[in-house]
Amino acid sequence: MAAIVIDQLRKEYRDTVAVDNLSLTIEEGELFSLLGVNGAGKTTTVKMLATLVRPTSGDAAIYGHSITRNADDIKGLVDISTQETAVARKLTVEENIRFYAGLSGQTAVQTRETLDYLYNAFELDQVKNKAAGKLSGGWQRKLSIALALVTRPKVLFLDEPTLGLDVLARRELWNTIRSLKGRMTIILTTHYMEEAEALSDRIGIMKAGKLLFAGTKEELFAATGKADVENAFIEVVTGGADHA
Amino acid sequence: MRESIRRVGTLTARNFKEIVRDPISLCFLIGLPLLMEILFYFLFHKMTAQFEMKYLAPGIVVFSQAFLTLFAGLLISVDRVSAFLVRLYVSKARSSEFIFGYALALLPVMAAQALLFFLVGGLFDPSLFSLRLIPAVLLSFVTSLFFIALGILVGSLCGERAVGGVSSIAISGQSLLSGMWFPINDMGGGILLLMNCLPFRNATLLVQNALNGAQDLWADLLRPLLIVLAYTVAAFVAAILVFRSRMKAK
Repeated sequence: MAAIVIDQLRKEYRDTVAVDNLSLTIEEGELFSLLGVNGAGKTTTVKMLATLVRPTSGDAAIYGHSITRNADDIKGLVDISTQETAVARKLTVEENIRFYAGLSGQTAVQTRETLDYLYNAFELDQVKNKAAGKLSGGWQRKLSIALALVTRPKVLFLDEPTLGLDVLARRELWNTIRSLKGRMTIILTTHYMEEAEALSDRIGIMKAGKLLFAGTKEELFAATGKADVENAFIEVVTGGADHA
Repeated sequence: MRESIRRVGTLTARNFKEIVRDPISLCFLIGLPLLMEILFYFLFHKMTAQFEMKYLAPGIVVFSQAFLTLFAGLLISVDRVSAFLVRLYVSKARSSEFIFGYALALLPVMAAQALLFFLVGGLFDPSLFSLRLIPAVLLSFVTSLFFIALGILVGSLCGERAVGGVSSIAISGQSLLSGMWFPINDMGGGILLLMNCLPFRNATLLVQNALNGAQDLWADLLRPLLIVLAYTVAAFVAAILVFRSRMKAK
């Protein structure tokens, strides 16, 4: 079953085309990574799908709900962890989770279940009484991603989730993201080739708003004749060939 | 409707915690005005009627509300810059719920300011403890809405660094154009006309007159009330429009 169907999605900012007639289908439970250099259109694509940015033309459907016509129906189905850590800094970790749970209309029992789940999945119980603003960068990022799961979304957007983290914190977050695989559809944007290689079911490569390639690692290697994602990525974005 | 009220309650509780857990904000919202109330009373109340507690206490109540503009603005701008609000836009909360959440969070702060400064004023001048204190407190609630709305507008328009500068216009306006710190009877027509047209002097007069008794209902209460309300409504409408446009920024 398709979770996301993108049809000729386009976003223009004055004289810049951020996303250029993107078409793509992502299956339910899939982890799809969008790779690209700065300005490739990854974040704009994610923001359009999360209904934060309105497309100039084209459309996308998330579980059959159009992002242009039924944006309100999509709220509750999706959640996002933005590039920037987005937490309430003076609230404790537990208060942050309770805040998001309250905002999504969860009952006291549901909120307790959410707390237990997130404490377990992200090991947040050890810092639950600390103010979010006083946590290390790695813990803040963990909390930021955990908060995107409070609403139990069917589609989760992770926009460069490991940006700025050290190698240990990054590997730890990979394990957390791996644990989510199959339980929800995940769209992950990243600059890190090894991250896409380690986590993805399929990889999309964007350049200047265009999707140049979409497929599995094996398909990418076969299409480019390379044996690793980094070299394959370079081949796709510099070779000019459209492998999609 | 029930869901919406619940979301407003959740947003209000979060915003209130963010404000009261910031020692700097409490220092400016409560500490500084309290110090000024006591200091100016002791230094000047025998020299000029301006600083008798029956004028100083309501003046300080309204002056302290000008800092609500600064801290409402700071909270919103930090939320915007840190992507905290962007994430919340994915939730079902609407722009009006965000605005209510910010505004309601500041009302307990305003209530604490009014009660504390009137109470301290009453310790120096027990005549403040009369039935007229009730309308004075209620009308100070109205004047606080203007400063809160202005703060929401400033926070929606400006970045974190600019909020301080822009909000200082409200604080300076309340200091210089309210007439609470210096006698204005001998001032020229132009500046007096400006003071009477802007909300700052009217807000101060409204609460002072409510506490001390109105001689002329229209001139002493209704006119300043209408002027303050007009600015409050305009500020809230502008705040909602700007906040909504930021929320839908493409």
